[in-house]
Amino acid sequence: MALNNQDASSPTAMREPGEDSTASVHLDADAPKGAVVAATKRKEPPPETLGSIHLRTTVILSFWAIIVFFGLPLWWQTTAIYRADLPLDEMMDWDKGVACRPVFPLRISIEASSLQEHEAQHLLRTTQHALDDLNDFSAHHLRLQLAQPANASTAADGSTTGGLEDEVALTIKVLPGPEQASELQSYSPVLDIYYTPNQVPSSSSSSSPLATYIANQLRTIFAEEQAMIAHLLSTSSAPPERSPKAPPPEVAEALAKWTSRSMKYSPTYHLTFSLFTPTATPSSWDIETAIEEHMKPLLDTLSSISNFTIDTQVQLYASPGVSGALLKKEDLSGFINAAEWPLSPSIGGAPTINFILYAGDMEVEGGGRSWLIPQWGGVVVQANVTDLRPTMLIFSNQLLALLGAPEAGSLPLRLMTLIRVRSAGLLLKASGTLGSLARLTRALPSISIPQSVAEGVYTTIEHLRKACDGLGGKEALRNARIAEEAAEKAFFEKSMVGQVYFPDEHKVAVYLPLLGPIGVPLVMGLLKDFKAWKKRRSAI
Amino acid sequence: MPQLIKYLLLLICLGFGIVSASSDYSEQLLLRPLHPSSLLASFNFQSNASWESFEQQNFRYFPRSLGQILQFANTRELHLRFSLGRWDAENWGARPWGGAREGGTGVELWAWVEADTDEEADGRWLTLTNALSGLFCASLNFIDSTRTTRPVMSFQPSNDHSNATLANLHLLHGTLPREVVCTENLTPFLKLLPCKGKAGISSLLDGHKLFDASWQSMSIDVRPICPEGPGDCQIQITQTIDMVLDIQRSKRPRDNPIPRPVPEHELRCDTTKPYHSGDTCYPLDIAQDENWSMTEIFGHAMKGSCPLMDEGATPVCINVPHARDVFTSGGAVERKDESGFMRCFELAAEQDFEVVLPSQDLPERAPLEQPLLYAERSFTGYGQERGGVQAILTNPSTTEAVDFVYMESLPWFMKVYLHTLKAKINGVDGDVIQEMYYRPAQDRKRGTQLEIRMRIPQNSTVVLNYDFEKAILRYTEYPPDANRGFDIAAAVITIGNVSIRTTSLLLSLPTPDFSMPYNVIILTSTVMALAFGMVFNLLVRRFVGADEAEQWDIRAIRLRLLAQLRTIIGRFKKEQKVVKTE
Repeated sequence: MALNNQDASSPTAMREPGEDSTASVHLDADAPKGAVVAATKRKEPPPETLGSIHLRTTVILSFWAIIVFFGLPLWWQTTAIYRADLPLDEMMDWDKGVACRPVFPLRISIEASSLQEHEAQHLLRTTQHALDDLNDFSAHHLRLQLAQPANASTAADGSTTGGLEDEVALTIKVLPGPEQASELQSYSPVLDIYYTPNQVPSSSSSSSPLATYIANQLRTIFAEEQAMIAHLLSTSSAPPERSPKAPPPEVAEALAKWTSRSMKYSPTYHLTFSLFTPTATPSSWDIETAIEEHMKPLLDTLSSISNFTIDTQVQLYASPGVSGALLKKEDLSGFINAAEWPLSPSIGGAPTINFILYAGDMEVEGGGRSWLIPQWGGVVVQANVTDLRPTMLIFSNQLLALLGAPEAGSLPLRLMTLIRVRSAGLLLKASGTLGSLARLTRALPSISIPQSVAEGVYTTIEHLRKACDGLGGKEALRNARIAEEAAEKAFFEKSMVGQVYFPDEHKVAVYLPLLGPIGVPLVMGLLKDFKAWKKRRSAI
Repeated sequence: MPQLIKYLLLLICLGFGIVSASSDYSEQLLLRPLHPSSLLASFNFQSNASWESFEQQNFRYFPRSLGQILQFANTRELHLRFSLGRWDAENWGARPWGGAREGGTGVELWAWVEADTDEEADGRWLTLTNALSGLFCASLNFIDSTRTTRPVMSFQPSNDHSNATLANLHLLHGTLPREVVCTENLTPFLKLLPCKGKAGISSLLDGHKLFDASWQSMSIDVRPICPEGPGDCQIQITQTIDMVLDIQRSKRPRDNPIPRPVPEHELRCDTTKPYHSGDTCYPLDIAQDENWSMTEIFGHAMKGSCPLMDEGATPVCINVPHARDVFTSGGAVERKDESGFMRCFELAAEQDFEVVLPSQDLPERAPLEQPLLYAERSFTGYGQERGGVQAILTNPSTTEAVDFVYMESLPWFMKVYLHTLKAKINGVDGDVIQEMYYRPAQDRKRGTQLEIRMRIPQNSTVVLNYDFEKAILRYTEYPPDANRGFDIAAAVITIGNVSIRTTSLLLSLPTPDFSMPYNVIILTSTVMALAFGMVFNLLVRRFVGADEAEQWDIRAIRLRLLAQLRTIIGRFKKEQKVVKTE
């Protein structure tokens, strides 16, 4: 270390004699004699050869070259966070609703075998006009068509084939009758319209009472579905001009309730039927036959949307969370004794819907004995468990409500509405997730994005595209489901979370002990050499 | 041995005899005073469900949460144990249920999983442990591949598996010796019972008393049974809780649990001692005649009987001589059996039930069964690197030899030297090992599995010894509180249907200073910086004569600094003057 003192290349050592003397003159003013003597006693070293100066410069530059061209890239490579390329703009487009315009073209087939061809055509045209006039929501569009004669025969006996069902949302049968009336068939998507002979529109008139009547009927049938879809769109981040005008407050409230109570969509649901008894009796119920008779038919119908698995249990000595024979409305939320009742969700991954039969003598204020718990299940209070039929009927209604089916209409229509509403909901949800992922990626530059996330995003977009193109059918539901799953998986990728919480303090603590002691001599060496070089240049 | 057989028969009567009864649910509490001043309380709950209802998931007495897990993980037979404390075999004799319903300290789980391949079995085992972990609020999810073994000789599946199933069954066994069993494990255990601790013997179970016991064990066994042949099979769940309560300790009031000396007038002295006088006393052992009641021991009386049982069932039994006075509350019917040491009670459904045993001098005691084998295990060796394990196994019987399987599952960081395994019989090298199954450890993948079949002749002691080396773990592999040491699971000794577990061991490994990584970074950086600085300076500096070098005179620097300071101060003063003149 003593060598440091003999540093010849330092700027002060390279000073001109004149400069040195000025310094000593300045010092002379107040310094004791000795100090000045020491400074003037110094002998100048012999001038350096050009070769050794070059050698030194080369050494310093080669060190820096290694650091810049090898060290830095190596450090960059080893500490870089892998960020797969994401189509961020496209993802934001989906989120904003620019990429997809959800349109639900519903084909409605008119079957008018009693009318002449041109009369039927005319009826179709005028009804379509009337419909278009009534409809203020472009995303939900009813398109009429005349039924093919071949289909008419199959539809006549009330059983539509599967292929036809996919295409046509509703079949209208225009039949002559004693008076104007309409009837929705309960077990198939068919609307019977009866008309009196004088209502047959003349080909000249642009509107007819029959056409207006049919249009009004159709509108009534699809009003709930339209309101649901409109509500979905308005609550999503879609641009506001797409959404129709705000629904009346009571409808809005009903729709908000519908959103909050329906379960998240899943391809499989697990149903748990539980009998809770406050004492030791009854300790058994005839649940197998009850399910077989009253629940299975409904579940079979629903199988096109979701599958269901079932288990049942009996629990004795179960006291509810509230006491008293008369339950107040505000007590109902506390009725389920979550701490003691073993209602753990099923472990298979499918969401669990709980149906609880409480065999106690209790009544809700105002007379009811059953209620629905949003996104969770339903409760029936009934002391006698010998006849399970009424209970099962209540459970069936609660199941449909929990799945998000509309309240009015015939069962097939409700199910088809459910498919459309579900696919729209999934589509919007997946789009929203994509948008969140894009925003997250932009907001956190230090987060790593593995390839699997990028793959998930591409899968999502591909299936979203397919779902968007074919909205309204079952295929769209399937695609929307895949898209939603892929989007959720990409968003909740585990390896993305770990990197976020690696604080900068740790990096400083790791780098500083090494970079400090090495960096200082390097930088000082470079500076000194640079100064010496400048001096040499000015001397020449 | 005849005594033992008698005892086993008794247990079978109590535990399994009810299987053939018509009801699908039964429960039984056996109270047995133990020497000195302890009470063994054995709770047994058993329910059966038909195989069809189980497959269709229509649960009645079988708990739904557990049933779903078993089906989801394709588990055909399950055994789960939560244990705490040490069974004092010298004083308390043979273990309840022949040791078949207890596990090593902490949590022990073994199950027969149906799967086509080993990998599939591992996957289902993982599902099972994770799901059970959630159900029982225990860290069962920490049973990973390093803690899982596949015992070969020690455990046998139930006899009632169908042959097709049996071919695809995989036995997996895992232990968590570090797990502290506590109230949060009891609550889900009680939830599985049909009467839920609200009625029947389960109403006596209370976390405060149970986990205050000297020894306790909770068990859950699920297995198939086919009482009527292979066509008519059922699934049976047996839950037991055994605890040894210190009577004196339990009788202390809960609000004032500090032990106090016995008042002088209650003190019973041994008058035969030569030093006995008015102020010196050698207290007599009063354990046998201890007076106690159910309320004192369990905190409250029993809340009636669980109504799901058959008419005429006797849910409470006490193992005391017939001469002992036992008072019960009204409505209970006493039934004494012929052995002379057992009486059971039939209870009224809706009435609280209380048992009181007053203080009584009796020459007779209920016989204590002698265990088939005494086993203890400890560490030998010293230092941070090498250690050893010593197991002392004693056959107390004077007439019969005992055959058994000794199983150890050790963590991978105990590197066993199998060649050092020595068995000494009565102090001399002997050939007692008949068969051995050894599966060596793989670092960070699996632990050591060692199963030894041995035969100990009558009245002999075998000392089993082996050495091991302690591995050094990686920084992140140490648990929190690493200086406490690592718990090593109990050894399992299987003698036919009887099983014995040794205590678990505490292994201390060399523990690093946990600020180590940063120190290493600093030290390495310093060394590297030093080396680099020297090389760099040697390369870029110019060497000149001592008199030619620039002189660094510290006085000159000081003077120069002083001069600069003065100029600054002077300038400042001048400025002030200027301001004043203005």
